[in-house]
Amino acid sequence: MSVGSITVRGVSKKFRLERNRPSSIKEAVLRIGRKSDVDDFWVLRDIDLDIAPGSFFGLIGHNGSGKSTLLRLMAGIHRPTTGTIESEGRLSALLELGSGFHPDLTGRENVYLNGAMLGLSRKHMAASMDQIIEFSGIGEFIDEPVKIYSSGMYVRLGFAVAVNVDPELLLVDEVIAVGDEEFQRRCMEHMNKLRAGGTTIVLVSHNTQLMADLCDRLGWLDHGRLMKVGEPAEVIEAYLAHVDKGGNTLTTRD
Amino acid sequence: MARSFTLSPTLSPSVRKSVSLIYHFAERESKARYKRSLLGWFWSFMNPLTTVVVYSFVFGVVYNAEPPETTNGNAENFGLYLFTGLIVWSLFTGVVNGSMGWLIGVSDLRKKIYFPTETALLGGAAANSVQTLLEAAVLIAIMLVLANLSWTVVFLPVALVLALLFGLGIGFIVSVFNARYRDVQYLVGILLNVAFFTVPIVFTEELLNRPEVPDLARTLITWNPPSLFVEIARDATYFLEVPQWNRLLAAAAWGIVTFSIGWVYFRDQSMAISEEP
Repeated sequence: MSVGSITVRGVSKKFRLERNRPSSIKEAVLRIGRKSDVDDFWVLRDIDLDIAPGSFFGLIGHNGSGKSTLLRLMAGIHRPTTGTIESEGRLSALLELGSGFHPDLTGRENVYLNGAMLGLSRKHMAASMDQIIEFSGIGEFIDEPVKIYSSGMYVRLGFAVAVNVDPELLLVDEVIAVGDEEFQRRCMEHMNKLRAGGTTIVLVSHNTQLMADLCDRLGWLDHGRLMKVGEPAEVIEAYLAHVDKGGNTLTTRD
Repeated sequence: MARSFTLSPTLSPSVRKSVSLIYHFAERESKARYKRSLLGWFWSFMNPLTTVVVYSFVFGVVYNAEPPETTNGNAENFGLYLFTGLIVWSLFTGVVNGSMGWLIGVSDLRKKIYFPTETALLGGAAANSVQTLLEAAVLIAIMLVLANLSWTVVFLPVALVLALLFGLGIGFIVSVFNARYRDVQYLVGILLNVAFFTVPIVFTEELLNRPEVPDLARTLITWNPPSLFVEIARDATYFLEVPQWNRLLAAAAWGIVTFSIGWVYFRDQSMAISEEP
């Protein structure tokens, strides 16, 4: 396997929905003998996908189609129920607001924490600190606890860390939409720069225009199944045709 | 924080990552402990010190408990007898109680970014161990002043390491339970309060040898793991005797086996923690 590639083989992911799940021992004891109200919910089914090193891959699909779950599986946060996911190389992920930030720590401490999670030394992070502060544009707030940050500041710092740790694989879940126009533009520029440097990027977004501009290949997920993978224009066309037919319902339990 | 620590480049990347995360969590735990306090680490001495003073007064003066006689040592003092036991006991309970909070503390983070979750518990335990080292240093300093020190002191770290392993093993298990049912922390707190009196810390082993004490109670109190760790520590710094080999063996088995079971269980369950609602 070469650095920067992601291989997804026969991956399915089941989440367990427990209605009235007991949250204390007392409740659990009181409910002994009663039939438990458990629903298995398949978020992803039989996904096979190869992402080549250095490519810019996009994932589209309706809300609840499993895009974010697939990204989380790639990031190693969840374990697939069946199948395997392998990735090679240093993986940096920006999955949601304040990805990997601890609210009580200052911005600076969180940068070190994130670096440690990626296996980067303090020294390395100290060297990129100025660059990160500059990129995020949050100035002196870097020494304030991140819980007082605005959502825009969260995302700015999160993105600044994610892209300034020399990732070989970068996973981005539609978070950059939170930043302002100017910041979004800088993100795009930076992602293009990273890709030019050989970083594999996987981006999730609903913005088909953006995806058509940025990605080399797209994957379309519908109710946990990978419907189509290929040229952005083709995939978007198929996706939009499906939406027009009214196939994009929010109900995800079938 | 410009503190740098270099690790041997021969370590595998994943081990290096874990080590720097453990360091990070340990640093955070120690910093958080006395954040916004003027006297900082001073409090970490005050806690055991007040306990020793109060217990020495109540048991040594009010109840007039005799400190156990020593053949080798010459520091027959109920406060010191107590302090030795408390160092071991508080390391054990600190890790067990702390583990649940350490896991809860990183569970939100773990839902957003992958990292080996056990590093949070190992880091917390490392911070507690630093505290224990300070207490042990105070004890050894006092014993040095009283000229009650011999080579048997090498068994003190043995007792502490085994108590730490045993505490971590239990901590690994209860922290996973607690991630699901938050009442586990209260239950554990109560059980530890009860367990405190199954360990000869405020009473002496001699007291156990009276005929009124049922055999079963005597066996349980002598051979339960925390008692073994406490007794080894006492032999090392109070009685200045070599611990009985069968106690050493039993203590090592308890520590290593419990840690291994907890570790395996935690590694198996920790992926599920990121999926807890």
